[in-house]
Amino acid sequence: MSNQHPNASAADTRHRQYREYVIRRVAQALLVIALVYTLVFFTLFVLPGDPIENKLTSPLNPLPPSAGEALRAYYHFDLSPIEQFALTVSRLFQGDLGYSLVSGRAVSDLVAQGFSDTIVLAGVAFIMTIVLSLAIALTAVYAPVRAIRSIAASAPIASISAPSFLIGFVLLAIFSFQLGWVSSVRDQGFVSYVLPALTLALAVNGPLTQVLIQGLRKAADEPFVTVLRAKGTSEVRIALGHVLKNGAIPSITMLALVVGELLAGVVVVEAVFTRTGLGFITFESVRDQDTPVILAVVILISSIYVGINLVTDLVYPVLDPRIVRPGHGRSRRSRLARPTVATAAATGTAVPDGIPTKASVDA
Amino acid sequence: MTRTTRRRARLAAAALVAVSIALTGCSAASASSDADGGSLTYLDAEIPTSAQVQEAGTWQTRALQQNITDRLLYPNAETGELEPWIADSWTVSPDGLTYTFVIRDGVTYSDGTAVDAASVAKNLNWQSTGDEAKGTTPNAQFPSGLVATPDDATSTVTVVLAAPYAPFLNVLTGWGSGLVADATIDASKEEQSKFVNLIGSGPFVVASETYGKEIVLNRREGYAWAPPSSPNQGEAHLASVTVIPVQEDSVRLGTLKSGEADVIRYVQPSEEQGLVDAGYDVVSKTGVGLSNQWFLRSQAPFLDDVDVRKALLHAIDREQIIETQYTDSWTPATSVLSPGTFGYVDESAKFAYDPDAANRLLDGAGWTERDADGYRTKGGERLTVKTYIDVYDNTAKSLFQQIQNQFKDVGIELSLNELDYSTYWATAFADPEVGALRVGWPHPDPSKGLSEYYSKDGSDLLGLAGSDTTLQSLLDAQNAATDDDTRAAILGQIQDHLIDQAYVVPILNDSQVFVTQQRVKGFSLTDGALPEFYNTSIED
Repeated sequence: MSNQHPNASAADTRHRQYREYVIRRVAQALLVIALVYTLVFFTLFVLPGDPIENKLTSPLNPLPPSAGEALRAYYHFDLSPIEQFALTVSRLFQGDLGYSLVSGRAVSDLVAQGFSDTIVLAGVAFIMTIVLSLAIALTAVYAPVRAIRSIAASAPIASISAPSFLIGFVLLAIFSFQLGWVSSVRDQGFVSYVLPALTLALAVNGPLTQVLIQGLRKAADEPFVTVLRAKGTSEVRIALGHVLKNGAIPSITMLALVVGELLAGVVVVEAVFTRTGLGFITFESVRDQDTPVILAVVILISSIYVGINLVTDLVYPVLDPRIVRPGHGRSRRSRLARPTVATAAATGTAVPDGIPTKASVDA
Repeated sequence: MTRTTRRRARLAAAALVAVSIALTGCSAASASSDADGGSLTYLDAEIPTSAQVQEAGTWQTRALQQNITDRLLYPNAETGELEPWIADSWTVSPDGLTYTFVIRDGVTYSDGTAVDAASVAKNLNWQSTGDEAKGTTPNAQFPSGLVATPDDATSTVTVVLAAPYAPFLNVLTGWGSGLVADATIDASKEEQSKFVNLIGSGPFVVASETYGKEIVLNRREGYAWAPPSSPNQGEAHLASVTVIPVQEDSVRLGTLKSGEADVIRYVQPSEEQGLVDAGYDVVSKTGVGLSNQWFLRSQAPFLDDVDVRKALLHAIDREQIIETQYTDSWTPATSVLSPGTFGYVDESAKFAYDPDAANRLLDGAGWTERDADGYRTKGGERLTVKTYIDVYDNTAKSLFQQIQNQFKDVGIELSLNELDYSTYWATAFADPEVGALRVGWPHPDPSKGLSEYYSKDGSDLLGLAGSDTTLQSLLDAQNAATDDDTRAAILGQIQDHLIDQAYVVPILNDSQVFVTQQRVKGFSLTDGALPEFYNTSIED
């Protein structure tokens, strides 16, 4: 018993390798966020115009040039870009995100207001997307009538090609303007999330549904289905209990991509539904070159994306320990960048062309 | 639009029956009106940004300040006369340097503090100097070097100016001159940015605010100091006004048509007639100040020749523009100033649409050749005027394109360029190739706009740097003119000169267009075309 079991040593090695892998990936993630922040900060200096300049010379309410000096000094625009960067970063580490140059509001308030709204919207939309995809995919594979199956199978294409602006406006026209069930402009709490979330879900479910349909079709043809059928298991049980369980695996990877698409889609949806979420805050701050707000939004969004990537990367080795082994070379980059393909290949599922990978969503 | 919407709606309704079942539990929102005047829902087209008094330049912010704060004097939009408001009476010394205001008794801010001489003086000094330590800028309309001194015993405020400043009384009527409580003045700049911290003595009080989403105004209990001409002398009729910014034109219109909104600001001109036919009221007004105009920069290519500039004046068919793109709510510009503005003179005869005159002028200036595209050339160069499409005006693109077509008829190429909102001013105004850009907005006093744009001490948009001494001395002289007649005469000469030299091409008189439900009564616009909810009520 004193002798170490060879397996224990292997487990130790694997453990150590995983720890190194985690440290490396976390460091990489932090580096990405820092680089994005720095890049955006200095890009804003290169671009023509700034909100102070606009304020001073706005044709609506121009300020005397004498007022400019004081205003520049107040916002530290009189410092060099490097000095301003140092100041901004040091404040950032104290948790001070500064104030909007346009609305004068605390950036932390604006971002909190936007984020709390968007996270609920995206969450509801995420659940709706899953329900919608399941409903369409199950219909496409199991509906008794062939015509219904093909209509359901073509639904993802329709969803991909329908602009969410149009979907949103149609929903608004029916349920707000015509039926008056929900206000088009007032915030009525949870009810007000339904239409925008549905718009988002209708817009992003396409790729997910496609992969799900393929997965289900393939699983439905597997020999174990024949075995189950022979055993007398009911069709519903086979479909929901067994085929779905096996056929949904590739789609689960796609859910991470769906989150990205939901966040990207909120700008349009929030405009149609007069919501003041993160999309709205982003749009306004970019339009007005409101530097402190842009920087806060950038650091938040990049943290979310990098965070999702990080979680995915940290979970993969748990599913497939070969990933952390040094020298196990099948280019880590390609694997990490294309989890959909990697997972799909691992489970022997074909990935249809045109499905956005995580890399394309990140871009 | 309506028809399209309905058709789309029917199609989609068929497809979405299943989804709709899930929503049947949702309650309907109706524009209810309670017994005492009701609650009005107003949809603005833009988001109010900062409530900071001196910075409040945007239209949607002014509209709120107009209803939250009171000012010393009230400009009667019908007669153009100045009326007492918070100032019971006022006198101006013959040299134009000393103003004495007698402050009305019994007025309070919504936080309970008194609108007394001390408070008024504090406001005026603060408006004039700003607060450098807080990053608060001076009110651009105010004269600098102003000293306001209160005398509580007589309830008077004496204002001494460093130099005569004739626009002063008009400026005091302006939306940016609203009087606010000490609590607002003493707050940090960031606190001042919130509308809930804008403490005025006006007929409405900010009850709540969610940035970008909603601002609720409640009726000020006990309000009893309206200007004399106001039909309502007591509290506002409306119990509350909910201001919701809705930037999507179609959503704003749809919400009005569904009955959920009472008043909206801005509809596409093409929608107006249909709304009138459907029983909605269109309320519109051109604000006092400068007309929608292009300034011409004589350093830009080819515009150093006054005849070329004059040709541009005559090449625009303003009637056609109004007829094809706008409605009765708009009018062709007749001067650098808009009608109803102090000192306005009708200059339209000098720049009537006359393509023959434009052609003659251009021929005389040597632009006699034509190139393959039909544009005039001289020495191998094409007669091109560069501009950027105005980002502040949502009808600008089609307007500019129509002018481009009209210019082509006389052989001038108008080169249209586009920029986004955040880079427009910095890029377009710095571009030395640019010959014309659009300016012109409402101002409580026209001289401020004129000086700001065209004086060497302002933005000097004409780029003259004072070299046109006639213009410069006229602009300087009207500030110092101490009686209205002299000042009006000088303003007339300024308009003459700007048109005679063809420095400015007036295009049209901008309007603010509102659409209201029939149940909305007494909704009116101020001289600056801002909505006034004080006299408004909802009657079913």
